[in-house]
Amino acid sequence: MAIPVIEIKKLTKIFETQKENVTALKNVDLTINKEEFVVLVGASGCGKTTLINTIAGFEKPTSGEVLLHGEPVTRIDPRCGMVFQQYALFDWKTVINNVDFGLKMKGMKFKERREIAQQYIDMVRLQGFENVYPAQLSGGMKQRVSLARALANNPEIMLLDEPFAALDAMTRQVLQEELIRIYRESQKTILFITHSIDEALLLSTRIAVMTSRPGSIKQFLDNDLPWPRDAAVQLLPRYLELKSAVWGTVQEEVMKTAGLLK
Amino acid sequence: MPNSSEKTFHALNFIKNLKSDLRVVSIISMVVFLTVWEAVVRVGFVTPLFLPAPSMVLEDGIRLYERGEIWLHVSASARRVLIGFALAGSIAVPLGILLGASKFLKAIADPLLSILRPLPSMAWIPLSLLWLGITETQKYSIVFMGSFAPTVLYTIEATRSIDPVLIRAALNLGASRMSLMREVILPGALQPIISGLKVMLGIAWTTVISAELVAADKGLGYLIMHGREFFRTEQVLLGMALISMTVMLIDIAFRSVEKKITPWTRG
Repeated sequence: MAIPVIEIKKLTKIFETQKENVTALKNVDLTINKEEFVVLVGASGCGKTTLINTIAGFEKPTSGEVLLHGEPVTRIDPRCGMVFQQYALFDWKTVINNVDFGLKMKGMKFKERREIAQQYIDMVRLQGFENVYPAQLSGGMKQRVSLARALANNPEIMLLDEPFAALDAMTRQVLQEELIRIYRESQKTILFITHSIDEALLLSTRIAVMTSRPGSIKQFLDNDLPWPRDAAVQLLPRYLELKSAVWGTVQEEVMKTAGLLK
Repeated sequence: MPNSSEKTFHALNFIKNLKSDLRVVSIISMVVFLTVWEAVVRVGFVTPLFLPAPSMVLEDGIRLYERGEIWLHVSASARRVLIGFALAGSIAVPLGILLGASKFLKAIADPLLSILRPLPSMAWIPLSLLWLGITETQKYSIVFMGSFAPTVLYTIEATRSIDPVLIRAALNLGASRMSLMREVILPGALQPIISGLKVMLGIAWTTVISAELVAADKGLGYLIMHGREFFRTEQVLLGMALISMTVMLIDIAFRSVEKKITPWTRG
C-alpha cells in the first residue's frame, strides 16, 4: 500500500526581482510515496532546483503547499537529507568531521558518532581518507563524502539535486550503482533531480517529466525496468521504449524553450 | 646506451636543477646589484653624502649593533606595531563578525564606519599628539586607529562571503543558530579574516613608521629621521633596510602561524 510521504499541492513559486517577476513553478502537483525513488527530469532552467529547495524548506511557496507526512513544511527540516550538486562540504572539516556533522548536531557522543560515521565512510568506500580535508579530494570523492554525510544523519527522505552532473562519465556510473545499492539496502524515500534521461531510467521507480519554465509536471511514468539495474539494462527493448517516451516529452519542452515550437 | 626511462630521469633532474639554478640566478643578481652600487660610490660617480655605498651602511649597522641600538629601535617599532595591532584586531574582528551576522547592527555602525574608512592613519597623528603627547600610548593609538576600521570592514566582508549553500547544508543537517555560527560561519570566515589581517599588519607598519618620523625618541622611523638631521645618509639607509627586514621576518612568522590555524588550505 502506498503511503504518501511528500505531497505537493498546486505549488507556485514566483521570484520577485526589481525588474520583473519570474514564475519558476506553476501549479505543481506531485506525491511521493514511502520507499519510492522518484526522478525528476527536466531541461535546465525549468525550476527543478526550486522545487527541491521548496521541499527542503530553503524556499517558501508563493502559493500552494508542500506537506511532509501531512504537515506543511515551514522550516528547513532535517528529515529531508539534501545532497547538493556543488557538494557543499565544509572545507575546514576533515572527511570524518563532515560525515558526523549531523550526528554532532543531534548531540550524540563523540565515540558513538565516530562509529556511525565510519560505517558510512566504509559504505561509500572512502576508507583511509577519514582525516583528509575536502580540498585534497577529487570531485567524485567529494560527492561520496556529501552522500555519506546525508546518509549518516539517517534522514527518512533523501533529496538529491543533480548530484552527479559535474562528474566524469565513469565516476558517475560508479556512484549511480552505489546509490542504487544504498537505496535497495536502506529503502529510503528518494527524490532525485537530473537532466539525463539515462540516469532517470537507471535509478528510478518512477519518473516525473517537467515542462519548461514555468515548471510543472507534464508526465509521470512508472519505471518497471528489472533490478539489478546495471549497464546491461540499457540493452533491453523496454529501456528504449521508456527512453523514447520520456525523450518525446523532453524534446518538445526543450524546443519550446528554444523558441522552435509554438 | 641511455634508454627512455633514463632520459625521463635526466629530464626530471634537469627541471630540479633548474629550480635551484634559479635561486643561484637570484643570488647573482643581488650580488651584481650591490657590487655596481658599491663601485659607483667608490669610483666617485656619486658622493657618499648623497648615496653611501652598501659597505658603509653595513659598517654603520655594525657600529650601532655594538652599541646595542639596533635591537632598541627594532624592538621599539615592533612592539608598537604588535600591541596596537593586537588591540585593534581583538576588538575589530569580533565586532566585524557581529556586524557581518546582523544586518540591524551593521545599519547602526555603517555611518561611523564609512566616515572612518577613508581616513588615512597618518591623519590621526596630530590629534593623537594633542591628546596623548609624544608617548608610547600615542603610538599604540595611531596603529589602533589606522587599522581598526579597515579590519572591521574586512571581517564583515569575510563573514558575509560564506557560500549560502553551506549554511543551507548545515541547517539541513540540523544545526541550531549557535552551532551554525560556531561550526560554519566562524571557521569559514577565518581564512579571509587572516588574509585581511596580513594586509592590515603591513598598513600598521606604515603607520608606526610615519608616527615615528613625526615625533619619537626611538624606533626605526626615529633612526631614519635622526640620520637625516645629522646628514648621516648611511643611517637613513640602514633604517630603511631594517624596516624591510623586520617586516619580512614578521610576515614569514605570520604565514607559519596561518598554516597552523588553517591547515585545510594547502596549496
